[in-house]
Amino acid sequence: MKCENCGKRDATVHLTEIKKGAKQEIHLCEPCASEKGLPGKAHFSISDLLAGITSASQSKKGGREKDVQCPTCELTLSQFQSSGRFGCPDCYTTFKDDILPLVEKIHDSSQHVGKVPNRVSAEVTLQKDLRNLQVELKRTVKREDYEKAAQIRDQIRILEEKLKGAVAAEPPAPPAKAKPKKSGESGKKGGA
Amino acid sequence: MIFNELLKTSGEWLKGAGPDHEIVISSRVRLARNLQGFRFITKMDADERKRCEDLIRKRILESGVVPETRYVELMDAEALDRKLLVERHLISKEHEDARHPRGVAIGSGEALSVMINEEDHIRLQVLQSGFQLRDAHRLANEIDTKLEEGLDFAFSPQLGYLTACPTNVGTGMRVSVMLHLPALVITRHIEKVFQAVSKINLAVRGLYGEGTEASGHFYQISNQVTLGKTEDEIATNVEQVIPTIVNYEKRAREDLMGKDRLRLEDRIWRAYGMLQAARIMSSDESMMMLSFVRMGVHLGLLPQLKIETVNDLFLYSQPAHLQKLSHAAMDPSERDIKRAEYIRGKLNGKK
Ligand SMILES: [Zn+2]
Ligand SMILES: [Zn+2]
Repeated sequence: MKCENCGKRDATVHLTEIKKGAKQEIHLCEPCASEKGLPGKAHFSISDLLAGITSASQSKKGGREKDVQCPTCELTLSQFQSSGRFGCPDCYTTFKDDILPLVEKIHDSSQHVGKVPNRVSAEVTLQKDLRNLQVELKRTVKREDYEKAAQIRDQIRILEEKLKGAVAAEPPAPPAKAKPKKSGESGKKGGA
Repeated sequence: MIFNELLKTSGEWLKGAGPDHEIVISSRVRLARNLQGFRFITKMDADERKRCEDLIRKRILESGVVPETRYVELMDAEALDRKLLVERHLISKEHEDARHPRGVAIGSGEALSVMINEEDHIRLQVLQSGFQLRDAHRLANEIDTKLEEGLDFAFSPQLGYLTACPTNVGTGMRVSVMLHLPALVITRHIEKVFQAVSKINLAVRGLYGEGTEASGHFYQISNQVTLGKTEDEIATNVEQVIPTIVNYEKRAREDLMGKDRLRLEDRIWRAYGMLQAARIMSSDESMMMLSFVRMGVHLGLLPQLKIETVNDLFLYSQPAHLQKLSHAAMDPSERDIKRAEYIRGKLNGKK
């Protein structure tokens, strides 16, 4: 491949740029690359770009003293900066603050709207059922139907167990819209 | 062995069928998935990789996602056989070169392939002949849903399917269409296509070639963004641009036929003559000559030649295919001789 600047020498510096969310590849020879103020020897890649963006977002916040490390796979943020690859799904949670701006830059979005695995949508359904039961429980307690209330409470307990299982299998995720805390309270009230 | 079996025929996607197949070679949808509870490939030790591979392989085979799925364990495969899979678009170059437990499941007709332990634990690919992106997408989605019944995919409600590289996160979906655009290259309009396509956030890359000038005039158009859009929207983005490019290429062909017919015929017949007569032929040269001949067949200028023959020559004149056919390892200069001989044989009556 020839250099895109001079068109004469072979391109040995490969640079990926992101402009307005669009990736662009630039191929230059070493003399042209250093003329443009880019280090010659190094091979630029998407990961170098990622590293650049990540440290920029970091310095904007005043920088961080210690290198953050993922507890699950032991990848550090600076290792991610040089490789551009995560070590495990938990990295997305560990490095969340640094990653979200980067993800935003690449995709122009930070919210998934596509397919959801059935297992996860099952959990969402469970949470909805649970909320409905809790509302019903309140109502039965209000009209002092304690026998019915006891039944509902058993159902709630079963659902909560199921949900716990589902959550344990669930990858670490930013808190969903469901509010388990609040429902816990209403459950207590019913018992009082 | 599976490799010899593969060698007997070309994949379904190369049959030269499907909508707009003169210009759209193939439509491909790829999904990236990872298992919850496992680290990503770079952080796995050999034991974890093996367990991961076993788990996914078991699921693929038991789920019966595609009848007659065959599994190739790449650790045990010969270098030449791995190259053969790359040339058939069944595995990536990275997957060929890696040195850890990994594999690929191949469905009948080679329309489906699932790479295990590539950059992500699962890279599912559906490859269809011609312009059939919807179909490829539907099939990929069905297979993914079946696999998911028995596997726990790493997923976050905010970021979607979690992948080793943040450029794939979200849907994990890469949609690409391979196009044959010789007339746009000859008429020097190809740059305009690049500009138009990159404006709407899609990537264009040359196929088979290292350089910017794609050898054989094959170009691949694919999405860049994988997050913040539904799978349908992503497929539609790519799908919408294709008819415009196809018409553009068709017009360029008509233009050449109208204004410069003799020159075009000369070019095509020279290419055909070269393929029929040459004694030494490099892979770049054969790609280029075959590209002209392919266009010639579609323009009705070479009525004696079947398009399947031309498509097969593209496939079988690649290095690993040539060596497998000759049952021998060959260096590049030996291959150039063998290539010329093979193509001559196929074009000169050896039906
Ligand atoms: Zn230069
Ligand atoms: Zn991690």
